[in-house]
Amino acid sequence: MTASQIGSSTRRFGGYERVTGSQEFVADLRLDGMLFVKLVSIDCARARIVSVDTSAARGLAGVVAVVTSDDLPQPVPRFGPVYKDRPILAVGETKYHGEPVAAVVAESKEVAEVAASLVAIQFEELPAVFTVASALNPLSPLVQEPELRSAGTLASTNVLSEQVFGWGDLGATEADLVIENDYCFPMVTHFAIEPHGCMVVSSSGGFEVWSPVQHPYLLQAILADLFDLPLTRVRVVAPDPGGAFGGKQNPKFEPLLCFLARMTNRPVRLILTLEESFQATRRTSAEIHIRSGFSRDGLLCFQDIESNFLLGAYADIAGRVVSKSNYLGCGPYRTPVAKIRARALLSHTTPSCAFRGFGTPQVAWALESQMDAAARHLGIDGLQIRLMNLAAKGEDVVPGDVPADGEWAQSVQKAASAVGWGEPLEPNHGRGIAVGIKSGATTGLSYSTIRLLFDGSVTIYAGTSDMGQGARTIFAQIVSDELGVPIEQIDVVMGDTSVVPFDLQTSASRSTVFMGNAILDACRDIQLQVRELAAELHGTALENVRIVAGGVFISEVKVSIPEVVQASLGRLRGELIGNGTMRRTDIANHPLGGRPAFFEFNCTAFEVGVDVETGEVSVIKHVSVGDTGKSLNPLQVEMQDEGAAIMGLGHTMMEHVILDESGRIANLGALDYRIPTSKDLPLSLSTYSIENADGPGPYGSKGVSEGAILCTAPAFASAVTEATGVVIRNLPLTPERVWRAIRDGASDSSTVEQV
Amino acid sequence: MKPFLYQRPGSLAQTFDLLSEYGSSARILAGGTDLIVGLRQQSVDASVLVDIKGIGEFLPEVAFADGHFVIGATTDISRVCENEKFRATFPALVEAMETVGSVQIRNRATLVGNVCNASPAADTVPPLAIYGAMVNVGGRDGTRQVPVQEFIRGPRQTALRPGEFVLSVQLPVPNAPLGVAFARLTRRRGVDLATVNLSCSIDSVGTVRFAFGAVGPRLVLGIERSGVLADSGAPAGDRDAALANLIAATSPRTDIRGTQDYRSAMLLVLSRRILAEAAGRLDSGQP
Repeated sequence: MTASQIGSSTRRFGGYERVTGSQEFVADLRLDGMLFVKLVSIDCARARIVSVDTSAARGLAGVVAVVTSDDLPQPVPRFGPVYKDRPILAVGETKYHGEPVAAVVAESKEVAEVAASLVAIQFEELPAVFTVASALNPLSPLVQEPELRSAGTLASTNVLSEQVFGWGDLGATEADLVIENDYCFPMVTHFAIEPHGCMVVSSSGGFEVWSPVQHPYLLQAILADLFDLPLTRVRVVAPDPGGAFGGKQNPKFEPLLCFLARMTNRPVRLILTLEESFQATRRTSAEIHIRSGFSRDGLLCFQDIESNFLLGAYADIAGRVVSKSNYLGCGPYRTPVAKIRARALLSHTTPSCAFRGFGTPQVAWALESQMDAAARHLGIDGLQIRLMNLAAKGEDVVPGDVPADGEWAQSVQKAASAVGWGEPLEPNHGRGIAVGIKSGATTGLSYSTIRLLFDGSVTIYAGTSDMGQGARTIFAQIVSDELGVPIEQIDVVMGDTSVVPFDLQTSASRSTVFMGNAILDACRDIQLQVRELAAELHGTALENVRIVAGGVFISEVKVSIPEVVQASLGRLRGELIGNGTMRRTDIANHPLGGRPAFFEFNCTAFEVGVDVETGEVSVIKHVSVGDTGKSLNPLQVEMQDEGAAIMGLGHTMMEHVILDESGRIANLGALDYRIPTSKDLPLSLSTYSIENADGPGPYGSKGVSEGAILCTAPAFASAVTEATGVVIRNLPLTPERVWRAIRDGASDSSTVEQV
Repeated sequence: MKPFLYQRPGSLAQTFDLLSEYGSSARILAGGTDLIVGLRQQSVDASVLVDIKGIGEFLPEVAFADGHFVIGATTDISRVCENEKFRATFPALVEAMETVGSVQIRNRATLVGNVCNASPAADTVPPLAIYGAMVNVGGRDGTRQVPVQEFIRGPRQTALRPGEFVLSVQLPVPNAPLGVAFARLTRRRGVDLATVNLSCSIDSVGTVRFAFGAVGPRLVLGIERSGVLADSGAPAGDRDAALANLIAATSPRTDIRGTQDYRSAMLLVLSRRILAEAAGRLDSGQP
């Protein structure tokens, strides 16, 4: 018997390797005879490719191949997780800054780089779409050719998709106060410390692919489809990613590398630079117009939201980002009447995809800032207006869908007391508070296999990608408690489609709930086998054998699981194999295809001090409280919350991808794209969990990895407003923006109708 | 990174030979924290790197002689910052040096390299100029001294002539009471390039000197002798007018790090602050 691991801060699996640098990321792996790939792009966003002269590059010693789209099968294959819109290499024109036009394959990285600089590309800049306004303008050029789009009236526009959600009759709804504003959320980049990259070996008619991908089985399926191969001929090995944050969900250059591996019949490898990673993917930017109606007392009457999210040139998964976040566009409140029109717009910019929070930080920026605007106009406290509108457990947030699944007010009260809400403030200091909810996964399928070996040690097989969230540790903790195995006798195997059973995705903070339940199910399978063996051994009925806290009770006699296994299996030894499944299937006609498995609810509060002469903001206190159901590993929950909170400070205070007039990223690289450093952290950062064991995961848990990024920006901005009196509706709140707002006296400019 | 030839001369004479042999295609490598990044990003072109860390005559030290501190071309910034006597003598320069890059970068980067990189935003340059630093330039025909503000002639342009390189910078120990301060504005607190940086000094007869960085193609120096800036009791409007007069010589531009009007406004705000700090240091007897 061992002490319970669940609820304790079990030491992280792989943590030692990660912090000592001995963990092997994809870039650390070497394959015999491998070739190095360098992508070639042009210094422009949208351009017609006039000519590509590869002769000088081909002539360089050590260059094995220089490939353009002309060298690929025609028409050039396209791929994507939802729409097959992304070509292997640019065809005829580039659609965004950094889209590869050619690829060089060489014997060394250095030769590949020099050869890439020798590829001469003549191009002609074309009119392009870089903004929401331009994407909505019917006179603008089309980002995607209509024949690539699914049939419909939108095919000849830059609108990828448009959805309207809502309830009640907006036209018949009255309010005492109507607040109307526009909010902007910038393009930001994931900035995982590990850049994107992959290696491919072409062998026996198929491929072996090494990629730090979040969804190995999705990559396998897409490659099998592209190359018309059986799944067994595509093996995806996914070493633990060095951070992903949604940016490594879907294939990017793996298909290209497969073609190059086939052409050269050698292993090929591509590791992007930081700059190339910036150009590979980003967060979807947004402009949100919102009218919010309130009663005189501060109760919400309606929300009328028009969200325009600017995607890049290829859809990736970003259409889903728009629909899923806007579906919950009214947040965790009781909203009597709502209308949300959400558009996903294509543009000639970096393809956007999933990013921690999956669209919710954009929506919450607008929604929560409206709550504060209303509070100011009504003379109500920012805390009170939230508490009076927050859905209580069991109340609807979207009528007819899953109701509030937590005691959310507890999180709000906790955050308020931790930040010192209502206490006196120094001059130029202010406090702000905000809330956010994100839908957990709506559908999903996770399988797990567990082998209980003869000596009682256990190997867990799970298709989750452990990219820093600590999934291995959580899975081992579950098995330790369920099967009574010491934690150090557990191995967790992940990231190889030839070894682990199918898992749909590592996304949407799902793994503790989905794979966790599959593992729990597999433990139950083994427990049943153990009970059957014990019943047979002791000549008793199955119902007389119970398993409690990993120990076997035969009537009142207690033995360990290994004792039962060893006595039963005997001289030939052997093992028990348990299988587990967590399946959540589609719901017909649901706008998201399924109901949220859980909500990630967060309340964030700040105290800031503003240097009103320079616009610099010091974060005095940053508090984040999550409704976790049950924190299976409190330290890991804290680490997730801190990571998400600091990442939220990035898009709140400093991060934004800046485009020049030709759509080129003007701050391409770490020099001028700023993320918070250790010196930019809050003077005090505290995170707390509310645990009522009311989640659908093991032991009542919910997913936790995104909560603390959901409402960082509005809580911070609200604190800046209290400190200075100015209201800013464009992120990020850089020192210069804050200074300018103070200089211009930019007080609340809401359009207000007061009845 | 494109291939390049690497040379590691053992003496000054060999170094000058290499520089004359390879001409402008040769670049000096000391800390490499700017050079290697430039080579990687292909913003710097060099077919030969001349690594001067093997030169026998160079001691990577902070030397003191004849009332001057001499910082050699291979002395990293961390080593300079560790020197207690140097810290006590040039506190504002040490503050500026401690904003360069990060700890890891300062363990490699040299003070001389920060000057030779000739970035308009180099943080060490305003206080170096305020403390009267001289650049010791070596060539086949001997050495010459150039004041730091004249050595940096514009973005990435120095007063080096073909075949020359910088042997050291030297700083005179102030021979009269002096208060000096430094400030910079950045977009974030950790590891950032300055949006503006500036340094000022005030002496016991009321002369105030300012050096402004990142607000023009080269360092902007100003001097104010009327005493209004030294008189903390003078009307704030008069003091601001005097500062504005000094700042008028700057020509800040709008770029990705800040707009022209923000930079101008911050020069005034930070000038007021460092002037007060410098005056406080003068009063407390700190240089």
